[in-house]
Amino acid sequence: MILAPGKNKDLLATLVEFGYAEYGSALEMLAAAKSTDSPKAKIGYINHALDEYRHAALIFKVLNIQINQGIGEFQKSYIFAPQHVVSKGYVDKGGFLVEKLDNKKFIEFVYSNEYLAKEAFEGLSKRIKDIESLNVISNIMAEEEEHAGSSLETLEEIMVDEGKHWGYAKKAHEKLYPNANLNKAFRREKLKNKFRLFYFKNFKFLSKIFDPILNTIIFLFGGIVKLLIIPVADSDNLMAQNEHSVI
Amino acid sequence: MHIGISAYFHDSSIALIDDQGNLVDFKKEEWLSRVKGDKSFPRMALNDVLDANQLDASMIESITFYEKPLRAWLTILKYSVRNNTLRNELTRNYFKNIWKSSIIFRYDLMKHLSDATMPIFYSDHYLSHTLSGLFYAEQGSYAAIVADGFGDSDCSAIHHVRSTTDIRTVWTSPYPNSLGLFYSAITDYLGFLVNEGEYKVMGLASYGAPVFYEELKKTLDFHDNQLIVDTSYYDYTRSVEQSFSEKLVTLLKTPARKSNVHLDLDSPNFQKYADIAASAQKLVEDLLIEIFQHAHNLTGERKFIFTGGVAMNSVALERLSKCVFIDEIIVPPSPGDSGAAIGAAYFGYLKKSKTRQKHEKFRLSENLFPGKVDQNEDFFSLMLTKISEPKDAIERVAELISQNEVIATAYGDIETGPRALGHRSMICNAHSEETIQFLNTVIKSRSKFRPTAPVILESYAEKYFNISEKIKSCYTHMGAVTTPLDEVVESIKGVVHVDGTCRIQICDESQLLGKILKELSKKDIFVIANTSFNISSDPMVYSKEDALLSIERMQIKYLLTEHGLYERNS
Repeated sequence: MILAPGKNKDLLATLVEFGYAEYGSALEMLAAAKSTDSPKAKIGYINHALDEYRHAALIFKVLNIQINQGIGEFQKSYIFAPQHVVSKGYVDKGGFLVEKLDNKKFIEFVYSNEYLAKEAFEGLSKRIKDIESLNVISNIMAEEEEHAGSSLETLEEIMVDEGKHWGYAKKAHEKLYPNANLNKAFRREKLKNKFRLFYFKNFKFLSKIFDPILNTIIFLFGGIVKLLIIPVADSDNLMAQNEHSVI
Repeated sequence: MHIGISAYFHDSSIALIDDQGNLVDFKKEEWLSRVKGDKSFPRMALNDVLDANQLDASMIESITFYEKPLRAWLTILKYSVRNNTLRNELTRNYFKNIWKSSIIFRYDLMKHLSDATMPIFYSDHYLSHTLSGLFYAEQGSYAAIVADGFGDSDCSAIHHVRSTTDIRTVWTSPYPNSLGLFYSAITDYLGFLVNEGEYKVMGLASYGAPVFYEELKKTLDFHDNQLIVDTSYYDYTRSVEQSFSEKLVTLLKTPARKSNVHLDLDSPNFQKYADIAASAQKLVEDLLIEIFQHAHNLTGERKFIFTGGVAMNSVALERLSKCVFIDEIIVPPSPGDSGAAIGAAYFGYLKKSKTRQKHEKFRLSENLFPGKVDQNEDFFSLMLTKISEPKDAIERVAELISQNEVIATAYGDIETGPRALGHRSMICNAHSEETIQFLNTVIKSRSKFRPTAPVILESYAEKYFNISEKIKSCYTHMGAVTTPLDEVVESIKGVVHVDGTCRIQICDESQLLGKILKELSKKDIFVIANTSFNISSDPMVYSKEDALLSIERMQIKYLLTEHGLYERNS
């Protein structure tokens, strides 16, 4: 869910990605709160969402501090625009995670990503110089670790419940060896994260490959479009126009 | 049942109209996804509408999309390939993002409603807007003005509405000659987000003088009954990143504002930016008057329907109401693209039923809160304390307001937006300037130049404000501004904007705010201040979970719901 900053040079762009990742987590947690019937779980998710919203706001504050200190130049794309959380892929419009994953997998995912987030923030904090921003980042790191911890607790509770309700051997195994599963989930998320980072770092290079293809399409299709006569809403009765037509 | 859908360009939405022509549900995708301005296919809203109304596909008679997707996509593309180079980013963007455009509407619909066998209609974009206004109007003939950024092929239109089944286009302004795109370009210039910050420009305009009017008029004018934009000043025909060109910066002799710097009264260049906003506002008002005059000349009508994003300009509406050739202007509560879903659903209804049956008993004030919301709030007890049951809640709210407390509401069904009319509001005593400042700048973290709206009972409205009969229906949904009477200005100065106007809301005693105001009148409080219940950059609160989250984020002490009044645990 979150980009590891690694050694990429663009600190400001990285902060922007962190901000959206936290914002995306807030939306995921709120969606989870709405999906559960348990009042206790609802409140737990809402509290988690509150933290993530706050983190997102703080990261954009850190970004502003960096800009004001002359670290990098302000770009319009650094301004927070909620819809970018979708276009950047931090929330999937096809469905929130809680809609796509079962409860256990969802919590595994949260657990893995909170630890990955903490790791990523550790990397980020090494590149931030001012004390105010560092304090913000270290507070966020501590809270991410706490989130991972509480996810683990919730997961263990669910596994106990599952064991009680169904008693299947597989579930019992998971109950006995929760960490084995979590490690698998953790590795899976880490791999996905690496792919995301690869795409982020190589975006310009990938564009060089795909741009000529796009140019050819535009050249061919654009030539046709230039010649098209597109119907307009004329003085005929609009209510009598063909309602099945898309043009 | 008839469904209307608006999506892919502005905040997407779903409207549901029943077989008697009543609006029975309305939902914006952003309310459910919590992504402000969410323009993707409204899958969550669709599911929610189906669930809340216990509908399955077999019960839906028609689904209407609010525009002609292929026409809309091809029009801008054709303009761009003709006028820009092969490598132009706007053209490239159009190709790259085809899968995010309305072209894929049918595919998206089938993904989420795979067993759909009902007819799927496509209404003309501006027809959907006109019908969304006509839905709230009495039967009769009208001149309908639609003005927004861009429709299927035009940027403004005049329709002659002879009846609900006979609507003709009598004038259009083709792309790129657009009032909406001009205002958005100025919004961009002033450092606010396009499609989001336009209302901030309107608020900012009140602080300025139109000293850049002549300069801006060089870039946009109405000649020979045509709106003409000089696109050398505007990049919206070339760029996806910036709506204005460097030529406009040179013309205005002021650097475009960087959007990362908070703008407030004491900010550098504040006055210049306010003057630019004032000049743009005056130009839009003047051009609208010319378009309305032209509509009157073409149709002979004196009653107008005004829709499209530009119709949200409540200041312009007040000026229009002073034109002698206008008897009445009707603006729907949601005049932008999301509200066009209502027009689209109405299109489906009219196509199927041919006549409209509901008008005799239709009352606007009873149709302001169509969005059905799940009312379960059992979980509140873990974080909130209930301090009043529903029967005593109004009295207690009035008492708290008189003590200058701020109350948030998440009360039953939701308004269509964009203005909060009481069911998703934050309210306080409008006679206390200090409380309003606290609500505006501390709780909502808004800039000081942004106004807060007053709400008043119909029976007291004329004792406080100059009421124009021509736009009276607009006051029910904060659609227009007016001025307070001289003798009351001092007592409600917290809700009077710097230019002496107020964007008022008039309600009756059947509405929640009306009930609260009736109770408050016993304490000599006749006006309350109202702002939407949301954090800046969030959509309006929708569910009870959103309400709880938001009072925690904003540290609001009291929350009123249909189940009672709650206090946040410390």
